[in-house]
Amino acid sequence: MARAVATPEKIVNLELTAKAFSYAVYTGDFVNFRFLFSSLSPVRSWTSQVLETEKYSYLLPKGDDENDSMYQEAYKAVKNDAMWAFITNELKEKRPAQLPAELVLLIADNAVRASKFTIAAQAYELLRLRRKMQAEFFKDADEALSSGNIPKAVQGYRITTGLAYDYSAFPEPLPKVANHQGDALRMHGRYPNSPKECLSVLPEEDHTNLALGYLLGDGAAANRLREYPLETRLAFVKELVRRMDPHWDTFVERYRKACTLVLEFADRMQHKNTTLEDEIDEQQGHVPTQITEALLGRTIENGEWWQYLKDLAYEHPAAILFIARQRFGNHEILMPRLRGESSLPTVLGLAENLPEGA
Amino acid sequence: MAEEAGYINYFETLALPNGANPGEVRKTYRKLMKQLSNQISSVEMTPERQSQFIMQIATMNAAVYVLKDKERREAYWTEREALIALEAEWCSLDESDIERHNKLRGHFDNEVNAFLSKYVQEMAQNAGTDNEVIEASRWDEAHARHATQLLRQYRHHLYHEILERLPYHEVTKPIIDWEERQRVVGELLEGLC
Repeated sequence: MARAVATPEKIVNLELTAKAFSYAVYTGDFVNFRFLFSSLSPVRSWTSQVLETEKYSYLLPKGDDENDSMYQEAYKAVKNDAMWAFITNELKEKRPAQLPAELVLLIADNAVRASKFTIAAQAYELLRLRRKMQAEFFKDADEALSSGNIPKAVQGYRITTGLAYDYSAFPEPLPKVANHQGDALRMHGRYPNSPKECLSVLPEEDHTNLALGYLLGDGAAANRLREYPLETRLAFVKELVRRMDPHWDTFVERYRKACTLVLEFADRMQHKNTTLEDEIDEQQGHVPTQITEALLGRTIENGEWWQYLKDLAYEHPAAILFIARQRFGNHEILMPRLRGESSLPTVLGLAENLPEGA
Repeated sequence: MAEEAGYINYFETLALPNGANPGEVRKTYRKLMKQLSNQISSVEMTPERQSQFIMQIATMNAAVYVLKDKERREAYWTEREALIALEAEWCSLDESDIERHNKLRGHFDNEVNAFLSKYVQEMAQNAGTDNEVIEASRWDEAHARHATQLLRQYRHHLYHEILERLPYHEVTKPIIDWEERQRVVGELLEGLC
């Protein structure tokens, strides 16, 4: 019988290990941080995985990262005598490691800094600080709003709603993520039998509140904002849309084009003194889908109105607040619809330079 | 009491002293349900209010369902007291006794999840099939569907209320200086603007 040959224990490069931990802290990457402590981690001496290989290069700082002051701060925290002793000890133990709270807190803060709110929510939740941190952000955001600092207030509300947790998630609670596509379908779920039933022509006050609730994806946060004057809420929505959707101006252009197409369509019907059905018959059953396509900026092959709505909600979440469903025979399209005297479309640039007669 | 927070107390739900008899439980439930019905019909309904009212009704239904039956009520109270005692035992353990800590943690976690699942979710759902409860609360299938997610959320909320008091295990206990935290929050907001 062959004698078992003892495998020499792997020598872990401690300096590289410190860099990997520092990089996870610096980037606010809680997943990589946990992985480094896991039983399969390449920084554990008994695993066959090696940190120096290409496979794990993603765990290490790149380029100029090491010169960044934030990285250096993270490195300092990792290499602090007590912390480093704790880390190396946890890596030696053959049991699930206990994570060091100081570094988890740094990860959470850095994740917020990098707008990785779900990661921050998980880290704060583990530290049992999430709700208190949310309250702190709310407090600062409300103060900013009261003093007229809208950008700071918007950022505060975005962080706070980003730190929310969904305790009803299955199989276990998870950070709550706004579901604009699902919400858009729900909001347009019922066909408006009269123009008054369209959400885009709601009274200004109601429309603004609806926009806040939908865009923030958090009813409680939107309710807090109801206490502020309408002008403040309008400015808030404007800033929120600008931050959530950097390509909003592209949609504004498309919206104008769609309005032009609606006017052309209406004009054709008026001059022919014909009915909508006649117009459809004349077009051999073709529905003016080009209006919906103009809104989205592209065609979805055999796309139904709700497919366009979902894509629109994904690309420009606020867009679905200014459109309505319109039936043509057996088909439906999405078309622009605004309330003339409402300030909400105006602050978002949708009511400017519209074609004459719109 | 703070050390009992999270272990739902159905006597408190019905604003009754612990140990109130089934007759008192039924009478108070009907009175509270009537008050709630009046309140519901007097306010403008919003989705938030609807969820809030459904949760109130579901919890009150579960309370009367558990407390009006002698066997259920005894089982509930015994399990609740045992859990409170288990938490006290775990929290009084010496921190260096890691093995015992881990053993109690696993046991406690199973027990507390089973308790909350049974008495927050299951009992509220079962109550919805009880004729007396249906009649008093006008509970129907639509309410039950709406309540499913809310009850799950409420269960986790209670679990976290308990968790806040327990020893840390996945992570070391953080030492938080809230003044420093406020400064960090301010910095984060300024930096991101």
